Amino acid sequence: MSKLLEVRNISKYYTHKDGWLPGRRICALEPLSFSLERGETLAIMGETGSGKSTIAKIIAGAEKPSSGELFINGQALDKMADQQRCRYVRMIFQDSLRSLNPQITVGKQLLEPLLFNHDGRSLEERKKRVFETLRKVGLLPEHYHFYPHMLSSGQQQRVCIARAIVLEPQIIVADEAFAALDPSIRAQIINLILDLQQDMGISFIFVTHSPEIVKHVSDKILIMHRGKMIEFGTTQALITDPQESLTATLLQADNNYKVPLHSTTKE
Amino acid sequence: MNILDIRNLTIELETDAGLVRVLDRFSLQLAEGEIHTLVGESGSGKSLLAKAILGFINPKWKITADRLWWRQYDLLNLNPAARRIITGRDMAMIFQDPSSYLDPNDKVGAQLRESIPRGELSGIYLKRRADRQTRAERLLHRVGIKNTEEVMDAYPHELSEGLAQKISIAMAIAHNPKLLIADEPTTAMEPNTRAQIYRLLTKLSASQGMSILMITQDLTAVIPESKQMSLIYCGQLMETGPTEQLMSTPAHPYTEAMLNMSLYHQQSEPKSRLPTLTGAIPTLQHMPIGCRLGPRCPYARKACVQQPALRKIKSQQFACHYPLRDGDDHE
Ligand SMILES: Nc1ncnc2c1ncn2[C@@H]1O[C@H](COP(=O)(O)OP(=O)(O)OP(=O)(O)O)[C@@H](O)[C@H]1O
Ligand SMILES: Nc1ncnc2c1ncn2[C@@H]1O[C@H](COP(=O)(O)OP(=O)(O)OP(=O)(O)O)[C@@H](O)[C@H]1O
Ligand code: SF4
Ligand SMILES: [Mg+2]
Ligand SMILES: [Mg+2]
Repeated sequence: MSKLLEVRNISKYYTHKDGWLPGRRICALEPLSFSLERGETLAIMGETGSGKSTIAKIIAGAEKPSSGELFINGQALDKMADQQRCRYVRMIFQDSLRSLNPQITVGKQLLEPLLFNHDGRSLEERKKRVFETLRKVGLLPEHYHFYPHMLSSGQQQRVCIARAIVLEPQIIVADEAFAALDPSIRAQIINLILDLQQDMGISFIFVTHSPEIVKHVSDKILIMHRGKMIEFGTTQALITDPQESLTATLLQADNNYKVPLHSTTKE
Repeated sequence: MNILDIRNLTIELETDAGLVRVLDRFSLQLAEGEIHTLVGESGSGKSLLAKAILGFINPKWKITADRLWWRQYDLLNLNPAARRIITGRDMAMIFQDPSSYLDPNDKVGAQLRESIPRGELSGIYLKRRADRQTRAERLLHRVGIKNTEEVMDAYPHELSEGLAQKISIAMAIAHNPKLLIADEPTTAMEPNTRAQIYRLLTKLSASQGMSILMITQDLTAVIPESKQMSLIYCGQLMETGPTEQLMSTPAHPYTEAMLNMSLYHQQSEPKSRLPTLTGAIPTLQHMPIGCRLGPRCPYARKACVQQPALRKIKSQQFACHYPLRDGDDHE
């Protein structure tokens, strides 16, 4: 059987245009290849500006690669219609506020993807699915009628997560989806992802700076440095035997305040 | 001396379901040069508190307080124009979603130069313009941006998220504010860069007496230089005091729950299910009466339908009827 996702030599150049002057070309991504099996979780790590969001957007189809090809289940992604594509891959963006439509209530935003992919479900059934999804991401039925600006940043992020999972796609790409979540909700969402993975074999690609989350959920890790993939391998291998010093640094636990666990001892 | 003094600040807003209290008698004091961290779950009202201090609040919302003082100014009773001048001069904020607060139509360089106060430049126009440019570059260096030319020439949408955060930090410190409110300023940065930004902020606070209110959802994100911290839940103050003391001997059930939940402590098997605090934060329309933590609190009893008053043990203050430590507990 073919791999769930295969990325072959994708690269990305951006041109900074300045009026009528010829633009400067910036290489955000040098050609890179990797593949992912069904049900696997891949973590993408790297410094800021290293090209993590660029990879994520290309996989999700939000950005076209300058070269290279992507295959899902052996099918070339650029030949797929958008509707078909969004059943395979859904993305959660880094700037959640800007990816939500401010004019539309939370409930309608979640119904929207179901409209084109309703599989013959009635409106009632679709609504039920939306309420169920809201509950899964730790929101309440009341939030169905809220507009995005009435929610805090973390709540908006959860709406984006809900929008991504409501269709039950095969791959979810999440760009720093955990950063705006508090520990309790973050744990809930991680549990949810693990459940989805177990029940439906969903693959998960996520960009994060948190070594704890990476160690907890990922099977493979991809390390980016200035547009280059400098290391790729299993989580186990990269933790026990990193080849690059950057890998080791990124995977170090970054707890600022070394809290003594349950130490209620008195001096 | 406290330069920021907030006592019993309440913010109420009009919704379809009637008046709701987003902030419920919240108190906070900040001394000069102090770094204070405000910790609370998503939706607890942290950003609204920040906006209320800066006066960026929908004028239709009802704000009351026993005290909302900044230095010698009574902010609530100041006329709007005077308040704008004072906050503009003394305070700055790093917003939670920096890219949505940058103007998408203007290059980063222009916006950065704009944030440098005019009063600090002198000489003829050309000299002022050159000075502005060097100061903008220096600001970018301080937040760890090396390719200044490229970055200043970019539009906000061309920046990565971490870069956008750095730019908004540079803009916030451009006029040497006396109070900096940093709302989750480093979420898009990896540990090294994050440490660098925290070093910069701590240095500013030590060398210029800048007070900083850090906002975060995660107890483990509290930096050691932040000697004071407060926990907020659903708009109510749960516990406040010296960071070290709260971390080692929390008196409030909420502080304890937050400590136990932080991922750092869970040396759990990979892919195992993680423990969570039961239930979700209620919506504002359905806030429990009394202590708002009630429905999720393992220690809750009948008395909790009355809002507990703030109590004090040493320098630690908390609002709970059944605290984990008692007043007669001497260390
Ligand atoms: N639309 C665009 N036009 C021009 N340059 C861009 C554009 N989008 C991104 N870039 C540039 O491409 C590079 C990689 O950006 P990318 O957003 O992928 O970084 P990142 O690894 O996600 O960083 P962060 O952790 O800060 O989000 C950066 O130098 C960025 O400035
Ligand atoms: N315009 C509004 N109308 C109605 N409710 C609002 C409005 N703005 C904010 N709220 C509500 O106020 C509460 C507090 O919001 P706030 O943005 O202060 O949370 P926060 O603590 O900053 O959370 P986060 O960590 O997720 O950013 C939220 O429950 C939110 O739903
Ligand atoms: S007052 Fe009651 S409900 Fe509130 S934290 Fe204390 S024990 Fe829990
Ligand atoms: Mg990014
Ligand atoms: Mg907020």
